[in-house]
Amino acid sequence: MKRIGIISLFALLFAGFLINWLYSYEKGREGAYISISDAKDPPTILSESAVFERSGFALEYVDMPVDAQHQRTLDDYYKNRAYPGAPPSIPHPVKEKRSMGGKVCLQCHQNGGFVEKFKAYAPVTPHPAMVNCKQCHVEQQTQAYFIDTDFYKKPAPAVGTNNALPGSPPVIPHQLQMRENCLSCHAGPAAVKELRVTHPERINCRQCHVPKEHQFETVERFVRANTMSND
Amino acid sequence: MYRSLYTNRRSFIKKMAVLSAMTAAAGMFPGIVFAEEQERGIPTDANLDWKKAPCRFCGVGCGVLVGTENGRAVAVKGDPKSPVNKGLCCVKGYHSIMALYGKDRLTKPLVKKNGTYVETSMEEALDLVASKMKETIADHGKDAVSIYGSGQWTIPDGYVASKLFKGCIGTNNVEANARLCMATAVTGFLTSFGLDEPMGCYEDIDHANTFVLWGNNMAEMHPVLFSRLLDQRLRRGAKIIDFATRTTRTSMAADKSILFNPQTDLAVANAICHEIVNNGWVNTEFVKEHCNFSKGLTQMGYGLEDHYKFTDKPESITFEDYKAFLADYAPEKVARLAGVSVKDIKYLAAHFGDPNKKVMSLWCMGMNQHSRGTWINNLVYNIHLLTGKISSPGNSPFSLTGQPSACGTVREVGTLTHKLPHGVVMNKEHREFAAKIWGVPVENIPAKPTYHTVEMFRALDRGDIRFMWIQVTNPMVTMPKLKRYRDGAKKEGRFIVVSDIYPTPTTDIADVILPSAMWIEREGLYGNSERRTQYFEQMLEPPGEAMSDTWQLVEVAKRLGYEKQFHYGRESHIEEIYNEYRKHHEGKKHNMAPLEVLKSQPGALWPYVDGKSTKWRFNAKYDPACSNGKDFHFYGKKDGKAVIWQRPYEPAAEEPDSEYPFWLGTGRVVEHWHTGSMTRRIPVLHQAMPHSYVELNPGDAKRMQIRTGDKVRLTTRRGKIVLPASVNERGVPAPMQVFVPFFDENMLINDITLDSFCPISKEPDYKKCAVKVEKA
Repeated sequence: MKRIGIISLFALLFAGFLINWLYSYEKGREGAYISISDAKDPPTILSESAVFERSGFALEYVDMPVDAQHQRTLDDYYKNRAYPGAPPSIPHPVKEKRSMGGKVCLQCHQNGGFVEKFKAYAPVTPHPAMVNCKQCHVEQQTQAYFIDTDFYKKPAPAVGTNNALPGSPPVIPHQLQMRENCLSCHAGPAAVKELRVTHPERINCRQCHVPKEHQFETVERFVRANTMSND
Repeated sequence: MYRSLYTNRRSFIKKMAVLSAMTAAAGMFPGIVFAEEQERGIPTDANLDWKKAPCRFCGVGCGVLVGTENGRAVAVKGDPKSPVNKGLCCVKGYHSIMALYGKDRLTKPLVKKNGTYVETSMEEALDLVASKMKETIADHGKDAVSIYGSGQWTIPDGYVASKLFKGCIGTNNVEANARLCMATAVTGFLTSFGLDEPMGCYEDIDHANTFVLWGNNMAEMHPVLFSRLLDQRLRRGAKIIDFATRTTRTSMAADKSILFNPQTDLAVANAICHEIVNNGWVNTEFVKEHCNFSKGLTQMGYGLEDHYKFTDKPESITFEDYKAFLADYAPEKVARLAGVSVKDIKYLAAHFGDPNKKVMSLWCMGMNQHSRGTWINNLVYNIHLLTGKISSPGNSPFSLTGQPSACGTVREVGTLTHKLPHGVVMNKEHREFAAKIWGVPVENIPAKPTYHTVEMFRALDRGDIRFMWIQVTNPMVTMPKLKRYRDGAKKEGRFIVVSDIYPTPTTDIADVILPSAMWIEREGLYGNSERRTQYFEQMLEPPGEAMSDTWQLVEVAKRLGYEKQFHYGRESHIEEIYNEYRKHHEGKKHNMAPLEVLKSQPGALWPYVDGKSTKWRFNAKYDPACSNGKDFHFYGKKDGKAVIWQRPYEPAAEEPDSEYPFWLGTGRVVEHWHTGSMTRRIPVLHQAMPHSYVELNPGDAKRMQIRTGDKVRLTTRRGKIVLPASVNERGVPAPMQVFVPFFDENMLINDITLDSFCPISKEPDYKKCAVKVEKA
């Protein structure tokens, strides 16, 4: 009797298991029916999406003190570029000579932070997806010239004079190509004091700050055309 | 090597604590941090006089402070006291005052004589307008004169226009450009709730967990509200879901972007309801207590033909009928039609269905400029009603507006052919009520509505209308199938008066051009999307002979012999008119705040009862007009219940075919506001966005070998236009779709759009027609 009880208990448990298993299998088949049309990823618009990158850090940036001792100056910032907008050269020695850059560079330059070795904050790259770093950013082996140059270095856009009205948001005085991500240069510990935005938590930067120069062409004056010309 | 931001957990937690304290402080003094910082940029010698006003541009209604010096506006900052924008503006707002100073500002009236415009005095020009009106009425009857106004009309502008035309002259030929943008929102509200305008307010943003944006590129079109969404995401982890036909800046900022095929939002909304009903997510108690089910007529047509008429016949149904109807909209059935995966439909439905989530739906032109616009508005309300997520903080279907006073003037004053300030012309009691306040015999107000906007311009073309006065709007850029209406307006025997501040394609067709005072060059009031009425004082002298639209109308009314009804004083007329207007809305359901209150604070929400704004209508906790003793009372309907509508999917009026294989949609960009007549005269904005373009999908562009800047010819059944291409720039349309902004008067995209409209609201669908795309 006892044995029958035990056997029937296990039989019951097994039956329960079977029912459950079959039920969830059927449910699963139903779920599998779901993909009639595949979820397609919406396209990415680099010039638009990059603005919002790093916005997860925005609240951190609000509260970021300027570390005066280890701060880059605006002068240093531009000295490292052949002209405003040129790719900066690598101002520190690079141990790994053969690599294109990639992870080695991104280790410090993807998210920034203090680098003990150089006693400096690593600047954050606005385009971490482009990993062949050294195709544009080269190490300086010497400060001497082969032959002196007559190249004219255009002065950098002045800070604090790019607004149309007193107190109105400044326009963007530089090109945006490869620099779509505002927060990488305008916020964080490596950002130059003069270039730091006071309100990094306002993520949609270009709702107030619009480019001064149109990206691909010179801007003509707005002249009213004869509106009857479409007839 | 380096210190990550998050490696030191303790300092991170500490920072978060400091931050949350800061957030709390910022909550108490919202925006104040930001405005102070902004002020530091202003030269110290600036001796500016700051006065408050609502922004001139969109319907968000940001509070701005305008700095004036020696009689000129020189700076703008966000008003930190305004609960709308908390001290922030967008690029248009910050530079708005520059729109006052374009070199070609109209300063003198111009009268067309033998094909050229001749300067005259204001007196003479107004005499001419009045005598032309009299003449037209005598020759062709009252219904041959009309006024076409705007959601940029101040409240007093619209009020005197309605009083003059409906009350005194006796014609319902009063329309406004809001017919092209908000009419659908109105019919959506009226059919579902019986009363216009959102039940909630912007404060919902601070409570919601999920924001669903229905075809709404908020990051560009309502940037200041969108920044409040982003803020809530940052601080509370709220989710932003972008549900759209085109990939935009909003899609890039959103947590999730879902694309659907044009017009199929109807099917997806029903599929969401299907999931809610079949997964047991219905808030049964709420639905039982507060909702009815109805269905209306289907296959209504698209209004493409002249004299098109449609009246819906609502019919009661049961919940079981509704459930049976939804069976056709199972996600698996909708997915292919809509191009949305079943998973994404279920994802959307799950956000609405989760009883622990507060959901806010936001939409603007995507749902309103829709050939089944009233239906899709109803369907979104269905979702919120079925789940009971309505009329409480954070649970809010919210219809956004595009003009500063689309709500305040067009919808509340009622400058539409069928409307009165309180109620509709078809209702005898409403007519009597208005006539009494206006001081006119009730017989003056005709009981039959005449023409809605599209039909009004058709009537002008046909010759049924002979005189049209156009104020603060630019229909010769914005009318769909524009060429017909431009040709019609230019016909012999039509007399067009245009009041504006700059020459536009609309002043080009005018017989008389009246220079208007703009925004803060006069006194006025606007009403924004959240039922907030805002006052602004006159801060500047208008240039030359420019005169406010209100006073132009008053002057003409007096010349027509209505001195008794328009006896307002020159200095005090705005106050007198507003006080008279308030009488129309007396009572707990729509009381307007007194002018002193509006002068002292950045606006107030109506119903303004016992000295308090009403933030959530229909909710007994917040709305003193609720009287049924229950938690909610939808008092717009006689039985106090909101309506859940059975509305099917129907195709658009014109869909792509082999000859015209692409969809054409039109819209806006962040830099320019509507037809650009103001923003293009602001150097900062013009330089950032100098002309229009046609956006193509990169795949299509590659196949057709089109690159950014190449000339592209668009051809529809209405005509053709050549535009420079834009590939992978501001927005990316889905394959076989193109998008064109409409701000550029030198590239009039509306010459080729279709004038189909929603049969219930009569609002045109600018988002959908078929087009052929070629490299030019």
